[in-house]
Amino acid sequence: MAGQTDHSLSIFSAAEVEFIAEDEMIEIVPNIRMDALNLLCGDFGPFVPQIPCTVPLWLAVALKKRGKCSIRTPDWMSVEKLTQVLEAERESPREFQPLPFHYVEISRLLLDHAHDDIPEVYMVRSLIEDIRNVRFHKVESGLETISGRTHAVKLKNLSAMEVNLVRPFMARVLQAFYKHDSPEMVQQADTSASKRPQVVDRGPRRDLRPR
Amino acid sequence: MGRLLKLREAHKTDVPATCSVLWAHDGSHLATSCASDTEVLIHDLSAPPPGRSGSTAGSSPVVLRHHKEGVTAIALGPTAGPLASGSFDHSVKLYNFPVGSFQGNVTRFTLPIKSLAFNKSGSLLAAAGDDDGIKLISTIDLTISRVLKGHRGPVTGLSFDPKHDYLASIDSFGTVIYWELSTGKQLHTLKSIAPNYNSDSSVLNTLSWRPDGEMLAVPGLRNDVVMYDRDTGEKLFNLRGDHEKSVCSFCWSPNGKYLATSGLDKQVLIWDVDLKQDIERQKFEERICGLSWKPVGNSLAVIDVVGRFGIWDNPVPVSMKSPTEGVVLNEPHPLFEDEDEEEVLGKGISCYSGSLDDSIEKGSGDFSPISRKRVKKRGPSFDEGEEVLQEIDSRKRRKESENKRGDGEIRERAVRMQDAFQVGFTPPQQGKRRFLCYNLLGCVTSLENDGFSHVEVDFHDTGRGPRVPSMTDYFGFTMAALNEKGCVLANPCKGEKNMSTLMYRPFGSWANNSEWSMRFELEEVKVVALGKNWVAAVTSHNFLRIFTESGLQMHILSVNGPVVAAAGSGDLLAVVTHASDCLSSGDQVLEIKVFNINEATQTISGRLPLTPCSHLTWLGFSEDGRLGSFDSKGNLRVYSDQFGGSWLPVFSADKARKSEDENYWIVGFNATKFFCIVCKSPESYPSVMPKPVLTILEFSSPLASSDLGADEVENEFMMTNLQLSEIRKKIKDMEAFGLDVTALDDEAFSLEVKLDRCILKLIASCCHSDRLVRATELARLLSTQKSLKGAITIVTASKLPILQEKFSTILEERMLDDLKTPEPIPTGRSNGKTAYSVQPPVRLSPMMEKSPDLNNRTPNTIKPQIKSSPATETLKLVKARYSTPENLAQGEDISKERELGSKLEKLATFVKGKGNATSEVTGKDVSSSATGNVKPELKIPINPFARVKKAT
Repeated sequence: MAGQTDHSLSIFSAAEVEFIAEDEMIEIVPNIRMDALNLLCGDFGPFVPQIPCTVPLWLAVALKKRGKCSIRTPDWMSVEKLTQVLEAERESPREFQPLPFHYVEISRLLLDHAHDDIPEVYMVRSLIEDIRNVRFHKVESGLETISGRTHAVKLKNLSAMEVNLVRPFMARVLQAFYKHDSPEMVQQADTSASKRPQVVDRGPRRDLRPR
Repeated sequence: MGRLLKLREAHKTDVPATCSVLWAHDGSHLATSCASDTEVLIHDLSAPPPGRSGSTAGSSPVVLRHHKEGVTAIALGPTAGPLASGSFDHSVKLYNFPVGSFQGNVTRFTLPIKSLAFNKSGSLLAAAGDDDGIKLISTIDLTISRVLKGHRGPVTGLSFDPKHDYLASIDSFGTVIYWELSTGKQLHTLKSIAPNYNSDSSVLNTLSWRPDGEMLAVPGLRNDVVMYDRDTGEKLFNLRGDHEKSVCSFCWSPNGKYLATSGLDKQVLIWDVDLKQDIERQKFEERICGLSWKPVGNSLAVIDVVGRFGIWDNPVPVSMKSPTEGVVLNEPHPLFEDEDEEEVLGKGISCYSGSLDDSIEKGSGDFSPISRKRVKKRGPSFDEGEEVLQEIDSRKRRKESENKRGDGEIRERAVRMQDAFQVGFTPPQQGKRRFLCYNLLGCVTSLENDGFSHVEVDFHDTGRGPRVPSMTDYFGFTMAALNEKGCVLANPCKGEKNMSTLMYRPFGSWANNSEWSMRFELEEVKVVALGKNWVAAVTSHNFLRIFTESGLQMHILSVNGPVVAAAGSGDLLAVVTHASDCLSSGDQVLEIKVFNINEATQTISGRLPLTPCSHLTWLGFSEDGRLGSFDSKGNLRVYSDQFGGSWLPVFSADKARKSEDENYWIVGFNATKFFCIVCKSPESYPSVMPKPVLTILEFSSPLASSDLGADEVENEFMMTNLQLSEIRKKIKDMEAFGLDVTALDDEAFSLEVKLDRCILKLIASCCHSDRLVRATELARLLSTQKSLKGAITIVTASKLPILQEKFSTILEERMLDDLKTPEPIPTGRSNGKTAYSVQPPVRLSPMMEKSPDLNNRTPNTIKPQIKSSPATETLKLVKARYSTPENLAQGEDISKERELGSKLEKLATFVKGKGNATSEVTGKDVSSSATGNVKPELKIPINPFARVKKAT
């Protein structure tokens, strides 16, 4: 749990990432009649009872808290889809399944505030938790493979929360490798030949850990 | 068929389980099995009827106890045995039939078996289940001759093609695969054409070839049975009717003329397949999961999910052809003459096609030795040429049978007039809450519970609608209507004690106890409707009763026929009644009347159009008071004043449907779109929980596919035109009352702009496809000069000098017209208003700069040209003569206020004499273009001012 535990390292706190995620759009079904809201980030509505419309998540949550709407669970949050994703995640240890960039935050917000709108909440909750665990585990095991030879790590479909947790660590690791690998190098052109002798140089990595 | 079929218990089961029943080929024995019972029973029917199977000693059935777990499938070979059974214990066993002695184990699977089928000759047995792969087992040496892999889910149904070319299989996902028996290849894979029961193992998908092998019946997604072509796998037609839920099992009559289907709604229907019409039905206490026609005679054996079976005698009415007529039998039976063989589908087919079905469920077959030989001969040594001939032959036959079907439809279609229904209701479901009324405002729901119901009223807008306490209903209300002020509930008459009652509940009233009810003796409320301060009920005596909000009986009218539906909004009440019996084509004849209750007038009266062979499913008013109807074929029509009052089709579900299994349950509509609840088949109506969500769909005209390839634009063109005409009509109406029409004018103007944009797009596509005449015509329809110039730009860009010339001529004509009609401002309200304010004079062409206000007036003068055909042009001229100079003074005022300069004033005074006349005309023409009526115009020069001021 190298990256995950060390929150001080993250650029954003979890709450901050969640804040960013609140700009994601989501479909709600209002139960009030209200004119369109003309906000800085765009126009939303008009709101007509029982007719779905798309609003930012923060607005959806605000309306939901006041009992003015019900939130429509996004497609990917159905038990069926999540089960598929979980299976696929488990089957492919190398890659990540495409999920919304903010899936952790969105699902968290929805489970916290709109649990009555989600069919089979408990199932969904546990599935998402499982998916998260599997993916974090994958990230961690991916970190283990980083060695002196690595100078870039390609992680497709990584989500905001995941990347936020590992980004600082990863960046520092890579930087450190880079620094220790090729102190004499001015250009970034990094050939494997120049790296090879440095692989043995594992000492400095110890220092990274406590951070 | 009031009598209920008595079922007797054969298998004991606590939970509903799939049971099967099979007739012996001579009709003397019946084999039954049940998925929760390890026994297979063979009932001897030739013995005196047993009191209760299994209990009475004399006629106790033969019990076969060889399986360790429940028997899921049984199949019967073509001749006297063998009987095969498959079980949850993964084994398939063979028995002698009807003796019941155990022959041996055929095969073992690793997972439960779900389905078995013998081929026509009995030489092959197909078995399948949760394993991946269908095993084809040779019954002679019990070896596996082939394993067919391709299904991704449990295979639940198998059927050998009676001609022994194909095997059809279906899995619980609803995927059907045609296998070629000689090669084992998949010929056609039809994905998700049947209901998906993957999560529900209690229902097994089945399929079955028609005994002549020409088509394959598969349960459809829309509570129907769909027929697929033998060779191509294409959908031929479907049998759709009164099944309220998916069809779970069915069985062809031995001659293939009839089909017995049983649905999850616990009904069994008998269909005349040629007529695609159900001819008989029976409702059961439990779901029927197994059906089998008696190979000889007119009987159907049924078995339900709790293991009780029965024999339904004469399921096909005696007056009709026997279900076994035309079947070639080995022993001539006095009952069946062959004289009709030609007429039945067996025409030109030899014995194997005219003989019995051998679907899995029935497996009942009656085979002559000759026919078996035939089948065998058709085996591998089948030569190509013959195949081709056979194909041609079969096509011909199909055509013939189609022709016959067409005749039959006209001749003897059982027509039915639809019953009265309450708009926005859903049928009752056991133990589930249902809608008595659902509209855009809210819903009234009811849940029956021990003889009385709980009725709840909910508004969609929880912020504004009144909160209504739920009530306990001792009457058993089935109809309701709801508006902002109250709701009306009514119940049908149920015996003498429980007479029909109408109850009105106001939501907010200053007096206590202001809810009231009316009772009707010997009369029954059929539909109710609610409007502004009135309540209407149409009764079985064809009375339209109108009450005031407080319960005063105001009017009683007689309506023309049995009522179908009613809808109310504001002052208007629409009532649809039957005008006559159905036409022989199956079309209903409905009549609609719209009453204005407050004024006691009738505003619309006429026939209500329906799609052929459909019934009305919805009727209602839009918020702005337009009337619309929706029929069971998914067509929405809106009443319009155009052409002296006609119904315009504005939506067709067939075109709009994205996938086969969507049903639209309409709730309401407005000017351009309608609101509906999309229900996934097999459901055709929404359930109360979870709360249904409305979907907005745009109107789309049923346009013919044109050579332009711009269907969307054409549709937009139609719809905008329609909208525009509605708005113009409304403006006219409101002006007649002297009301402010500024808002509407704005709307009309933006519509005109939209229409112009749309026309420009059409011109562009006309240019592309070289339709120059059409392009010119479209250019004439443009309402502003700016758009006309845009059009010229378009044609210039597409290098069409002829068109460019033409368009320029049109533009010039317009400008000249403008010069002639200098004072149109006051009347031509709805025209180009803002166009000129947006368009600064700087951008004018040199030609237009001659008169600065020309530019202002252009839209007005263009107007008559746009909307008028040559006929209206002349009408315009005529009108011009008769018009009076009313608006002159106003016109002058305006021109001053605008401060457009002395030039304008000069011009205004110059054309005073004739100018007012022309302007009068333009105004009139604008407003009357929608209806064609010539009525005195009202001149309220409101907006031109406002707008000009705003702009300058």
